[in-house]
Amino acid sequence: MHVLLVEDDVVLADGISRVLRASGMVVDVLGNGSEADSVLQRAQVSIVVLDIGIPGLDGFEVVRRLRQRGSNLPVLLLTARDAVHDRVHGLEVGADDYLVKPFATAELVARVKALLRRSGSANTELQLGGLTVDPFSKRARVNGKSIELSAREWAVLEYLLHQASRVVSKQQIIDAILPWGEELTLNAVEVYVSRLRMKIANAGIVIRTIRGFGYMLEESKPDA
Amino acid sequence: MRSIRLTLLKWLILPLLAINLLGGGLMYQLAWVPTQAAFDSNLSNEAWALFSRLHLREREVEIELPQQAEEMLRVDRFDAVYFVVKNSAGKVIAGDKDFPLLSVPEQFDNTLTYKHVMRGSPIRVAALKTMIGSQPIFLGVAETLRKREEARSAIIIKVVLLQIFLNLLLITVVWFAVGKGLNPLKQIRQTLNARSHEDLSTVSEKRDVAAELQPVIEAIDGLLSRAQVGAKAKQDFLADVAHQLRTPLAGLKTQVEWLQQKRDIDQDAGESCRLMMSSIDRMIRQTNQLLALARAEPNDFEQRKLETFELDKLVGESVQHFVQEAARKSIDLGFELHPTRVTGDRFLLRDLIDNLIDNAIRYSPPSSVVTVSCYQSNASGIFSVEDNGPGIPPADREKAFSRFQRLDTSSAGSGLGLAIVRDIARDHDAQLGIMSGPEGRGTIFTVQIPLR
Repeated sequence: MHVLLVEDDVVLADGISRVLRASGMVVDVLGNGSEADSVLQRAQVSIVVLDIGIPGLDGFEVVRRLRQRGSNLPVLLLTARDAVHDRVHGLEVGADDYLVKPFATAELVARVKALLRRSGSANTELQLGGLTVDPFSKRARVNGKSIELSAREWAVLEYLLHQASRVVSKQQIIDAILPWGEELTLNAVEVYVSRLRMKIANAGIVIRTIRGFGYMLEESKPDA
Repeated sequence: MRSIRLTLLKWLILPLLAINLLGGGLMYQLAWVPTQAAFDSNLSNEAWALFSRLHLREREVEIELPQQAEEMLRVDRFDAVYFVVKNSAGKVIAGDKDFPLLSVPEQFDNTLTYKHVMRGSPIRVAALKTMIGSQPIFLGVAETLRKREEARSAIIIKVVLLQIFLNLLLITVVWFAVGKGLNPLKQIRQTLNARSHEDLSTVSEKRDVAAELQPVIEAIDGLLSRAQVGAKAKQDFLADVAHQLRTPLAGLKTQVEWLQQKRDIDQDAGESCRLMMSSIDRMIRQTNQLLALARAEPNDFEQRKLETFELDKLVGESVQHFVQEAARKSIDLGFELHPTRVTGDRFLLRDLIDNLIDNAIRYSPPSSVVTVSCYQSNASGIFSVEDNGPGIPPADREKAFSRFQRLDTSSAGSGLGLAIVRDIARDHDAQLGIMSGPEGRGTIFTVQIPLR
């Protein structure tokens, strides 16, 4: 996966590239918005990690021009300002996600991976820890072994995997997996999740419960 | 220190007292002069009465004054009375030989009164020059001054008493008048005193100002506006610094985390990395709190636009933030979010929510239970965070909301979190409460946010 990182702070840019490279990505760094804009017009990259406050064109403008050219390249904005305005504006001009500095590197990596997964074609395999799912055949494997999933369980797992490392509410899960007009109780979601937990128990993945709110799927940490 | 009240009192009371004193003197004169005249006229009458006793016999003036009549003349209830009758040659015809008949009126049939001394006592003399037949004759009647002194004393005492009464009345009236005149000043003082140090809004827009105070108030308002600009600049600077610290902090954090992840790192270096990370996280937290504090400034708040929105959704946005930290401390973080609408600044309320949850997770021991809830209650939304940690003793609860106040010094906190919560609650006219949990364990923070 090829990441274009646009960040003018040398220390931060260096740190982010190290971390992303350690996750097996190829990283190119630019420190200027105008440069980024022209590079994006020719080079093929998988994702852009873009700071808003950069010299030349600012991050918003770079995204706006990218979207104007009809590109649906995933964009993760980095901002030092957490003003709601910045966030809303960022998403309005076409960014896919944003992170407020300073962030945990694990979160950055998880967000980048999630964006890559989402942008991948619907038939690309998704993989996290020992879990591999194939959206095309709707089949999942844990450590290479196939597991049986009902259609609803499949939908919940796929959604959680797309939102890995993010807290999602039960209602969000329902909204995501059900066609409009159909109803599903919150209790039903709990049932699907508990079944999923048993089925992916050995995959090095946990589905954390946030009591009274929802769930978060993430790789279980080796030291935890 | 110069006092307007004292100056006013001095310049009003002293001249008024002087005028009153003059009035008192005049009053005394007005009372005493007729009294004196009446006494004198009495004395003259006695001289005329004495004259009626004289007659001519063979060109010699004789007096017919029997013992009894003389006694009647001389006896007075209070004073000794003296008299003398002299002819034109100066020969004493009758009366007291040592009578000091010094001056006589220039015209006949006139009396003249004057003061003198006789036999060691001051006396009042009435002298009369008249004719009997063709002979000029001089008569003098005198009395000591006891009656007059008594009358005069009575006048003086009454005038003095009246003066004292009038002056007291005057001082009281002036005192009250000055106080009333200075009332607007007192009101301004009270308005200013009642203000919090953060309220820099101008004075004049909030009240009617006396015309004389207008320039002063304008000057105060001018100063307040300048202070406002200064405070705003300081606040913006603070926010700016906090924002600008974020990028280098992010760089530092990323690099140290990278170092930590390296598998071949030795144990000492690993420990050092861990310590660096904890310092970095504290710096980040305090930077964020400084920013939140700058944002919660009331001066800034006025300018923001309030909106009505769903509080439960806003709390939902915070969840992500705390899951990792709660997991690290094995804290069971739970939510009971019911549809709740409130009116406020979404952004500031997010700071409030974050700080209360952060506070609960930070100060609760590992394996505690923290529950965040919100629900609608009439015209307001209630947000609450409950933990089953050590709790805050009632005596410390007020203190908990002061800046830099940390009740538990063993945890790494800046002590700003609850101060931010208090500032934001105040901005929103929200009611803030701390209670003990069930069975006196733990703490429940509640914020009642109005829905407008």
